[in-house]
Amino acid sequence: MERKNFLKSLLVGAISTPAVLAACSKESDSVTPSGTTTTGTTGGTSTGSNSCTVAPTETEGPFPTKAPASYVRSDITDGRTGYKLTVNITVTNSSSSCAALAGALVDIWHCDAEGNYSEYGGSGMQSVNYASVHFLRGRQTTNANGLVSFTSIFPGWYSGRATHIHVHVYSASGTSLKVTQIAFPEGSGTALAAVGGYAKGMTGYTYNKSDNVFSDDTAGVEIATVTGNTTDGFTLAISLGVPA
Amino acid sequence: MLARTITLHYRKIIDASAARPWDKLVFDDTYTEFRMQAQYFNQQNQFRTFGELRQHVPGTEQLHFLVSAAVRGYLQQLNGWIPDILDNLGRLFLKFNTFQFEIINSDLLDKSRHQVAINFYSDPLLWHDTLGSYLLVSAKPAEAPTAGAEVLTNLFQLQPYLSIHALHTEG
Repeated sequence: MERKNFLKSLLVGAISTPAVLAACSKESDSVTPSGTTTTGTTGGTSTGSNSCTVAPTETEGPFPTKAPASYVRSDITDGRTGYKLTVNITVTNSSSSCAALAGALVDIWHCDAEGNYSEYGGSGMQSVNYASVHFLRGRQTTNANGLVSFTSIFPGWYSGRATHIHVHVYSASGTSLKVTQIAFPEGSGTALAAVGGYAKGMTGYTYNKSDNVFSDDTAGVEIATVTGNTTDGFTLAISLGVPA
Repeated sequence: MLARTITLHYRKIIDASAARPWDKLVFDDTYTEFRMQAQYFNQQNQFRTFGELRQHVPGTEQLHFLVSAAVRGYLQQLNGWIPDILDNLGRLFLKFNTFQFEIINSDLLDKSRHQVAINFYSDPLLWHDTLGSYLLVSAKPAEAPTAGAEVLTNLFQLQPYLSIHALHTEG
């Protein structure tokens, strides 16, 4: 039945495209193929405006499938190059003795090695290539241990900000629980020093104590643990307590 | 007639009247995503509609982009074909690589007021001739064909929400 409906809607939909676009779904009975049900579609009279358009005569498909995976992915690099960074975030419930929070949605986003974010450029009305437009952004659902893991690259930096990763945690139903940022440890021997700001170097870099977001974090709770090296890549770990 | 290079723009409107499976999925998922992403800009829960958010909250133009993340997977399912637009043989014939998603209207409490558009921009076409209300076009080849070579063409009609986006002048 589902397939039938789909087949019909494909035929009807394509034929009546101009009408549908005009926000008044219409179909003409005369073009409904025999053997498929003619009921169950949104009604309306034919405008005739589509009578001059040739009906589709193509193999059915591609079959659309629900794609929550559009944004839900662990590898968010999308071709951006840099030192590999594995981001492990553990979400706990601060309203429940910091027990692991399973099923939460965790979005992260950060800039690339040059300090640029994926976004529509300029006026915000530019067209973009769909395959790479959301680089270094992604969503994962926490497992039974409250853990999500992303594969990314070590972020670069831009003027006025310390290196950071944005995080937005949602409940399973999509209610916002926490918007925060992750800071990086600084000083000799740290990943930040090893990466050295990539091609930009560290001249003009804003350190955490001067950063307008992290400077009030005197206890360092926003600073993640980062291990690894430039050859094998780095691993970041942090635990975030959210009121769920 | 010297063929001109054009790109076409198809603005596909998707709203609560969406009847086809792909359109419905895009409608549902972009609404869910809008409600999620809007919370970042609406932390006091002051605003209800996309229009209010745009008017009162700086940075909300980002919502077009942020919500477009929900469309990404559906665009990949199209395999590079612009949907709905058929040539005179009834076949899809326009390829695309670039798109732009826009939220036209939305309402955090009323899904029926959610309305979005996906703008598809075609790969470059050569516009050879116009026959009545039809345009005769062919995919622009990477290199100029040799003289006398056969070029396969498509005949199609301009229709609502389909427009010529750009003319490319020959340098």
